[in-house]
Amino acid sequence: MPRPVAHITAPIEPLETRIKRLRIPKARQKELLAIMDEAWTRLAVERVKRPIISAQRGEKLESASATR
Amino acid sequence: MPPPPVNPNAVFLNIPYDDEFQKLYLAYIVGLSQLGFDPCITSGVPGGERRLDRVLALIQSCRYSIHDLSRIELSAAPPATPRFNMPLELGLTITWAKLHPKRHTWFLWESTPRRVQKSMSDLDGTDPYIHFGTVEGVLRELRNAFVRDNSPSVQSMMEAYRLVEARNIVGILAGGGTRNLYSASVFRELCLVALDAVRRTKDAIKP
Repeated sequence: MPRPVAHITAPIEPLETRIKRLRIPKARQKELLAIMDEAWTRLAVERVKRPIISAQRGEKLESASATR
Repeated sequence: MPPPPVNPNAVFLNIPYDDEFQKLYLAYIVGLSQLGFDPCITSGVPGGERRLDRVLALIQSCRYSIHDLSRIELSAAPPATPRFNMPLELGLTITWAKLHPKRHTWFLWESTPRRVQKSMSDLDGTDPYIHFGTVEGVLRELRNAFVRDNSPSVQSMMEAYRLVEARNIVGILAGGGTRNLYSASVFRELCLVALDAVRRTKDAIKP
């Protein structure tokens, strides 16, 4: 028997419904989402910094080479 | 007793609950969440005489199951003993799916090609999904196994995974080692964090 492949047709539930089903107290949810906010912000800052650091090292920026 | 209703988006995860599997555990949760599924594990099922019944009920309530046998091995502590819970749950699942093929589909996962043929020759002819023990491998194979319109790219799934993994969120949830990552409460919190990462990454599937 070859490995099965599932072709999914069932609709995806909205994220809010899925989050609700987890039954996590609201206060804890708030805490966790605050941690994620911080992680997201830091990741975004790193993304901005990374090309600048690369450019300072003399590395070619992806976007720069793509335009040529 | 009649079987429980099937959740068409629920995936039963039959995986090892050990430290070395943590990254792949997280990859399964993030990847499945991003593909629109609800991962389920047995850790929330209490022990005791009726545990097996409850595990079976959980399998019956899930439309799909993934059985990752990549870490079936002898324990380091003497006496060296393999743990058989995972093959046992695979056996239960195979029987259930044989009896009710429209209610359940199971998938076999491994890290090494041809290892299953050696460890469980009765499964000969069943090709497992091979993840090579990597996060990217798990995400890629999830995408190969579960085909859905507008599935996110592996790159997008990796982005969601990195968001959860990069800032030691797992460490924070584990309370610096005081909480078991595979416990029911931490599992639910990981699912929440994974769903939030899905929301934040660009091309997640929209309902």
